[in-house]
Amino acid sequence: MLETKISRRDFLKLGGAAFGALTASQLVAPPVAQAARRFIDDPNGDGYIPTMCEMCVWRCGVKAKVDEGRIVKLDGNPDHPHSRGKLCARGQSGLMNTYDPDRVLTPLIRVGKRGEGKFRRVSWDEALDFTAEKMLQIKEKYGPEAMVFSSTHNLSQVQFENLLNGFGSPNYGTQRSLCFNAMITAFSLTYGVEEPARNYEDVQFMLLTGRNMMEAISTSETSLMVDAIARGAKLVYLDPRFTKTASKSAEWIPIRPGTDSAFLLAMINVIVSNELGDCEFVKQYVVGCDDLPEAMKEYTPEWAESITGVPAATIDRIAREYAAAGKHALAHPGWRTSNFINSFQTERAIATLNAISGAVLRPGGCLDTESPEASSVPLGKPPQPPYPRISALRLDGVPWKYPLVPLKLGVFQELRDAVLSGKPYQAHGWFISRQNPVLAIPDRKRTLEALAKMDLIAVVDIIMNDSAWFADVVLPEASYLERYDPLHVVDGKIFIRQPVIEAQGDAKSALMIYKELGERLGLGDYFQYIDEEDYLQQQLAPLGLSLDELKVKGYLDPQVQQEEPAEIVFNTPSGKIEIYSETLANAGFSPWPTWVEPPYPKPGEFYLLTGKVGQHTQFGTQNNQLLHKYEDPPFIWIHPSVAQERGIQTNDWVEVTSPVGQVKVQARVTEAIRPDCVYMTPGYGHLSKGLRVAYGHGASDSELHVTYTDPISGGQALSETFVSLKKA
Amino acid sequence: MATKKRYGFVINVSRCIDCRACLVACSVENNVPMNHTRIWVHDLGVQGQFPILQREFIPWNCMHCEHPPCTEVCVSGATYKDPDTGLVLVDQQACIGCGFCVDACPYDVRYLDEKRGVVDKCNACLQRVEVGMQPACVATCVGGSRMFGDLNDPNSEASIALKNATNIQRLDYENGKVDTDPNIYFINSEALGEEVVLQSGILPRPPQYHLEEVGWKKVLVPAVFAAIGASFLVQATFFTKQLLEGEKEFEE
Repeated sequence: MLETKISRRDFLKLGGAAFGALTASQLVAPPVAQAARRFIDDPNGDGYIPTMCEMCVWRCGVKAKVDEGRIVKLDGNPDHPHSRGKLCARGQSGLMNTYDPDRVLTPLIRVGKRGEGKFRRVSWDEALDFTAEKMLQIKEKYGPEAMVFSSTHNLSQVQFENLLNGFGSPNYGTQRSLCFNAMITAFSLTYGVEEPARNYEDVQFMLLTGRNMMEAISTSETSLMVDAIARGAKLVYLDPRFTKTASKSAEWIPIRPGTDSAFLLAMINVIVSNELGDCEFVKQYVVGCDDLPEAMKEYTPEWAESITGVPAATIDRIAREYAAAGKHALAHPGWRTSNFINSFQTERAIATLNAISGAVLRPGGCLDTESPEASSVPLGKPPQPPYPRISALRLDGVPWKYPLVPLKLGVFQELRDAVLSGKPYQAHGWFISRQNPVLAIPDRKRTLEALAKMDLIAVVDIIMNDSAWFADVVLPEASYLERYDPLHVVDGKIFIRQPVIEAQGDAKSALMIYKELGERLGLGDYFQYIDEEDYLQQQLAPLGLSLDELKVKGYLDPQVQQEEPAEIVFNTPSGKIEIYSETLANAGFSPWPTWVEPPYPKPGEFYLLTGKVGQHTQFGTQNNQLLHKYEDPPFIWIHPSVAQERGIQTNDWVEVTSPVGQVKVQARVTEAIRPDCVYMTPGYGHLSKGLRVAYGHGASDSELHVTYTDPISGGQALSETFVSLKKA
Repeated sequence: MATKKRYGFVINVSRCIDCRACLVACSVENNVPMNHTRIWVHDLGVQGQFPILQREFIPWNCMHCEHPPCTEVCVSGATYKDPDTGLVLVDQQACIGCGFCVDACPYDVRYLDEKRGVVDKCNACLQRVEVGMQPACVATCVGGSRMFGDLNDPNSEASIALKNATNIQRLDYENGKVDTDPNIYFINSEALGEEVVLQSGILPRPPQYHLEEVGWKKVLVPAVFAAIGASFLVQATFFTKQLLEGEKEFEE
């Protein structure tokens, strides 16, 4: 194990040793004492202020109950289509993020060694001057491309990108390649849309390929799926684990990991060879439909049985049930699809199944090929000059090594490796906002080595996350309940995130942190707003809408007429659904959805599976005391037959070894997993001692994960790491 | 006991996904200490052998019994069945924290809040219900499993769900002396059999009647009241003193 436990006594000793400096234990600001007593006006006079959740990326509407300047309860906003009056466990716990005793509430500059946790409190001016000076030094010495910028998808992303592009660096790291590159790349190539929306109103048959909707919760979608099941829609669920979604399914198929695409290709084979699809639709709107039966010829159910372990008769039957439901059948696109190199092909097969069933047909079709985020609401934005020309290659290999990876997705793990190799050039600084690369990127040791090579690490966050722990400067952001962010449009309505209490301590919104840093970098023209409200007013200006009204209601309906296109047109080169993709063929890849053999574990090795739980979001919520209160202990799942062979019982400590790392974690012996797999919940095993709840709790999966990248989508293949087990 | 309203819960077991939004919502709404909880989701566990498996989750909380054993043993009168709502409530001003009700509850839904020295439990978020809202657990239930309403009113959401249920079960506790007659109805469960047990077979359990069992009631009750009186007197003295000093400070 990389981390070593320290006792409470060591902790204090550390504090004593650092004279005049701060250790994590002293960073802690008592929440009550720090709670702002400058009240925000109650816009409705009912004690509730409407705003927007940020406990995950689904962005539910929130009504925050505030009593004398203190948040006392969060409820789902019934007016918001994502919450529909409800919040999940994470959303309900949101005020504990704001009142986390481990919040960082003043800017910090490191005084000890990296990772020692010694910082001193500084003013914003000092922190921002320090950061800007270092960034400009790097720019002058090595060029702007030597600065890496990374951030996880959020509403102030637009201004983050101004910082990055205005500075002139092509190196932008996002979490996307660790998450959904396979899904987005496949659907972009096939339908010309990144993420088609799902329609549950008329659904009769749902096929989920590892989409653990009951634990990877998006409040509205999860609710709608439960409703659909209660209405009698059939749920067929492929997953090597018996998850909570499996427990709600009519049929759980514990398929062999990495072979989903074989199962799906065989379904396509059954449907097209028996002409069970929506032929009329297919001929009109789909490229490649004539040749599809020939292209799928070898993928018979019998062939798939030998690979997946699922009986041919079962595959045949499910294919027929799926086809019989026609456009009311939904093959769910999935979300985190960073499982295998062939996950891109799995996604292409899912896209194909939806095409041949006519799922995009209206009314009643289960897949909207318009992106749910797409909107024709013409919001304004502050004026800004064009970006400087950037000629340096991207360190993450897009597009020179990964020609089909969309620029905005990138390949984060490759970026980390390029920092280590120094090729094609050496990066020297890393600006990280609301992200925790130390835990997120596979092979944590390598990520720590990459950070160690930096001349500057600057982190924007609300708590001392693991990357902040190793940073030179920490810029404390206001929590989502304390700040404004740019506006968000859902279903043609404009929603606001606004502060429900004044920011605690010296915390600031990202909009202002980026602006004040940008001005010091000479990029003031990219940040032409006075403050957050001015930014929002500039967004509303072209619509002639009032910010005050938006603040009161939480949303505005600009009544922009959405024209239904007379004809279905897809945003692809041919204007049709491209089951056969010329783009793929031109890049030297198979133009058809195709079978790519995954690696299999050797005897004595196990697939290391990871997945979501309903009580946490990725790597950022483990320190939330309310979520900690109601979480399951982060144990490794082991099948009883495997546990018995090794003399392992539930609660026993187990040593888990992968090609790149080793962790010790407690066992949960359960029938709910295939014997050839083990499972760990990601986001545990934090290294930062500034997280007093999460530090040392559970083990880190990124310590074990080997870096494998899909050459087409750039997606990381998380499930291709094989581990061995031993009783510790 | 016939009450004006008979507020109760209907739990559609088939809809619970064990997301625990209810648990967090309840903790926040009711300021539940970190080491306690007012409500639960009971996991029946993974049943069967790979790959033929089954698992169900049973959300539950105070049953707001028609004949609650807890009210019987309360020496201060703090725990009572509310004649208007039918809810079993604790008047925490009157509670002396003796904990007898905690032991008397067959469902273990009560806890002693060590810091405040009072007993706490689910009050169906009466503070929300009174202003026309749903209890926090019900309002946020992602799967739509938890429902709440007046079971005397045939048009309440809870009554309608009960009427349309495929199967209905309750966790009645009956032993000749006691019949709790609980007001939580579990519907649409596949796995819940005739014998329903919560928390690994511990609940419901026989109520423990300290007072009756050891025959101290006659001695203890006056003693307890004397103690309350004394503590009240002390508190009142301090309060008056503080008030006077406080005012003095204010005048300065």
